[in-house]
Amino acid sequence: MTNTATTPSGQPLGISHKPSRTAAMFDELDKANRPAFIGYLPYGFPDPEVSLKAFKTLVDHGVNAVEIGLPYSDPVMDGPVIQAASQIALNHGESIHGVFRAVETVANAGGVPLIMSYWNLIYHYGVERFARDFENAGGAGLITPDLIPDEAGEWIEASDRHGLDRIFLVSPDSAPERLAVVSKAARGFVYAASRMGVTGERKTITDSPEALVERTRKAGASRVCVGIGVSTAEQAAKVGAYADGVIVGSALVHQLLGETGRKALDEAEGLRNLAAKADELAQGVASAR
Amino acid sequence: MSVLDELVAGAVEDAAAREKVTPLEELKEAVVAAPAPIDAMAWLRKADGIPVIAEIKRASPSKGHLSDIPDPAALAREYERGGASAISVLTEGRRFLGSLDDFDKVREAVHIPVLRKDFIVTDYQVWEARAHGADLVLLIVAALDDATLKRLLDLAHDLGMTVLVETHTREEIGRARAAGARVIGINARNLKDLRVDVNKYAELAADLPDDVVKVAESGVFGAVEVEDYGRAGADAVLVGEGVATADDHELAVERLVKAGKRVKASETTPLSTHHGPYWGQFGGRYVPEALITALDELERVYSEAKADPEFTKELVTLNQRYVGRPSPLTEAPRFAERIAEKVGITPRVFLKREDLNHTGAHKINNALGQALLVKRMGKTRVIAETGAGQHGVATATVCAMLGLKCRIYMGQIDARRQALNVARMRMLGAEVVEVTLGDKILKDAINEALRDWVTNVKDTHYLLGTVAGPHPFPEMVRDFQKVIGEEAKQQLRDWYGIDHPDAVCACVGGGSNAIGVMNAFLDDERVNLYGYEAGGNGPESGKHAIRFAPGTGQLGMFQGAKSYLLETDEGQTLDTYSISAGLDYASVGPEHAWLKDIGRVNYSWATDEEAMNAFRDLSQTEGIIPAIESSHAVAGAYKAAADLKAKGYEHPVMIINISGRGDKDMATAGKWFGYLTDEQSKALEVTGAHGDTVA
Repeated sequence: MTNTATTPSGQPLGISHKPSRTAAMFDELDKANRPAFIGYLPYGFPDPEVSLKAFKTLVDHGVNAVEIGLPYSDPVMDGPVIQAASQIALNHGESIHGVFRAVETVANAGGVPLIMSYWNLIYHYGVERFARDFENAGGAGLITPDLIPDEAGEWIEASDRHGLDRIFLVSPDSAPERLAVVSKAARGFVYAASRMGVTGERKTITDSPEALVERTRKAGASRVCVGIGVSTAEQAAKVGAYADGVIVGSALVHQLLGETGRKALDEAEGLRNLAAKADELAQGVASAR
Repeated sequence: MSVLDELVAGAVEDAAAREKVTPLEELKEAVVAAPAPIDAMAWLRKADGIPVIAEIKRASPSKGHLSDIPDPAALAREYERGGASAISVLTEGRRFLGSLDDFDKVREAVHIPVLRKDFIVTDYQVWEARAHGADLVLLIVAALDDATLKRLLDLAHDLGMTVLVETHTREEIGRARAAGARVIGINARNLKDLRVDVNKYAELAADLPDDVVKVAESGVFGAVEVEDYGRAGADAVLVGEGVATADDHELAVERLVKAGKRVKASETTPLSTHHGPYWGQFGGRYVPEALITALDELERVYSEAKADPEFTKELVTLNQRYVGRPSPLTEAPRFAERIAEKVGITPRVFLKREDLNHTGAHKINNALGQALLVKRMGKTRVIAETGAGQHGVATATVCAMLGLKCRIYMGQIDARRQALNVARMRMLGAEVVEVTLGDKILKDAINEALRDWVTNVKDTHYLLGTVAGPHPFPEMVRDFQKVIGEEAKQQLRDWYGIDHPDAVCACVGGGSNAIGVMNAFLDDERVNLYGYEAGGNGPESGKHAIRFAPGTGQLGMFQGAKSYLLETDEGQTLDTYSISAGLDYASVGPEHAWLKDIGRVNYSWATDEEAMNAFRDLSQTEGIIPAIESSHAVAGAYKAAADLKAKGYEHPVMIINISGRGDKDMATAGKWFGYLTDEQSKALEVTGAHGDTVA
């Protein structure tokens, strides 16, 4: 087996100067004066095979970058919809080893593959090992909802070696010095939470994310995307007017989830709903500017 | 010819060519004129950090070309700004593409020590280094015989320079020491996969005395290696590629320097006043960025309050007049006899009576302290999690007293086995939310509390009940609980005339009562400390909450801190089980994890059965009904006594922390011991009060 952590002569891999995949995506979208549409779904939901189809559906229906969630038993940043979907995925045998297939699926479909994971899952898998496998599968970057830059030494080192983007979060009450810390450590883009709280759909989006995006840019971030609470084309258009990207999660997950929120819908119906919702949101994003 | 031989031969040839242009005598004159060398020893060892020697490196024989470095002076200045303690300049020209010209430019540019790194085997090269202003030179043991090594080392020392002596094996370290090396570079690369092998480093460095500065010389790339080497005892690190090829050189060095500071700060003593965020490698703040503002505020307000005599006075007064502190230290002679019968030594046993506090447990100590901070922060709403209900009751109590809005999250299973405590909390005006997500136990209650906090952080304080979670909770909760041990120490002297205990026993869930009773004794090596986890049906059963026994907990991040954690192969949190809701937790406070790793506290466990037997023993020998949680400490006292016996104690003085009273557990105990009629038992089962009827 070749050890990809070393050069052919056997030396540890140095810093990868591979350009950021998400940066390239934003540059490309800039030409059309469009924000990015970033869609989230948990891997393995409702089961591994259907989730691969769902990821492809997203890319086929206008999603530029896919945020592939890794289901976790204790997701403190997630609201009821994503909690339920994660639980269903775990009950159906989701395993981190399979997530790289999802990464390949997104890459093959022409999307930019991102993974969103609570830190313990990556830490337990092995940070360097994860970075290596993620890179080999064609991954672009990792979103870490419960890892702040101050604790990210190992991840910063591994992502530097493997040319992966580091996407940290900021929130409306983040102080300027925190925005600076995050902007400095980030690679690819910064994820701005639209409001204080956990993931989930909302009827209205306040103006606070616009101010946060502005403050984060001032703190040094080159790209800022907004997530949490965006669920309609109208909201997507509103957010896309000022953000580099619009991130949608629960509203997409919702399409695959039955009314009770405890069980997934029939596969065909779910994927149909998902395609329609992605189309709707993509139109919103396209009309943002 | 080996690579090293080839490099040395080339270096000698090049030096000879230079000597033709500049004879030795001329160099010696230049040395006299050169500015005095900086004493690099002082730069290579720091109490509060791990000095970084950052290298200007264009290429190496093994990796080929690395970086162009058109302007070495600019790069050196970036290293210096990033916090480097010294700059290493490769002056070998053939394979490393360095030069003395690079060296001169760097020397001009920075004010920190500069190391000439070359294949130095002649006096001429040493004089040359000093003439160019070097503060440090490198000598490679493998390239020198003993006599030459000693001669060059002495010459460099005579010229006022510090010598970094590079070694690869124990034998070379021995030769370096014999020659009089004061700074030894250890190359601990694992030659199989070329990764840093910290074990090899530790093995090589093991016999080096303290007055030798130890530099980890190979394979340092980023923060991970600095941390690994630092924990293995390296004084300084030398790093080349990791900084030379970084996009932002200053930031790359800064990250290494920070990692080194963090390692040093995480291992400070005395243990009893150690500060977070890190306890050895444990602790930290593994939380969403959205909580950082609140955690920063809490840390700031707490440190202000600690320094404010008014705050301390209010806390002490309320502790006395409201909580009923000090809690007594009760001698338990009849229980001591039980230990004597079972173990065969005759201890004196003292019980620290946290069960006599208002609300019946130690939890109020912390709840009161934090509630006073809530007032100080001007927040109006308090949320808390609870397992056994003791922390929930304590929180609801202090909120009622101080007029704060209060919501308690409790897993549904716990809420049912502690139905009366739920009623107590509601009676006290708190809203109790039963959590039906996940496993419906303590950890799920904490998840919900964290979600609430992320959402309502502006007006809400999360009153965490134990020494776990993100910084500053482990430190702050310790400080509010350490009164337990301080009192016990004083009472043992004043009431019983005993200078110090030989042993302290406590149960460990998250670990707040254990830290509370142990903190005053952590730095007193005469006191043996014992912590007992919830053994459930035993470690092999898979139904337990033992985090420290081999094959149980693994390193992981959980609910804000790095610690030991019960988790699956996938890193998902494992279900835990214990008859006591309060110990039923998948992780453990980071300070305990550290105390385990450094061997200060002996951790073991008591099974459900052992705990329930101890529950009965103490009730029937002393008339004191302990909480089932505390019964694990009582059960542990038998095990501690056996250990003390093995250590040669005959009449040890033992303190057991009775963290809470057992009234709340009577439904469970009644069923366990068969004191309830079938009818009564059934009636309790309907409400789930035994805790085993809810799936």
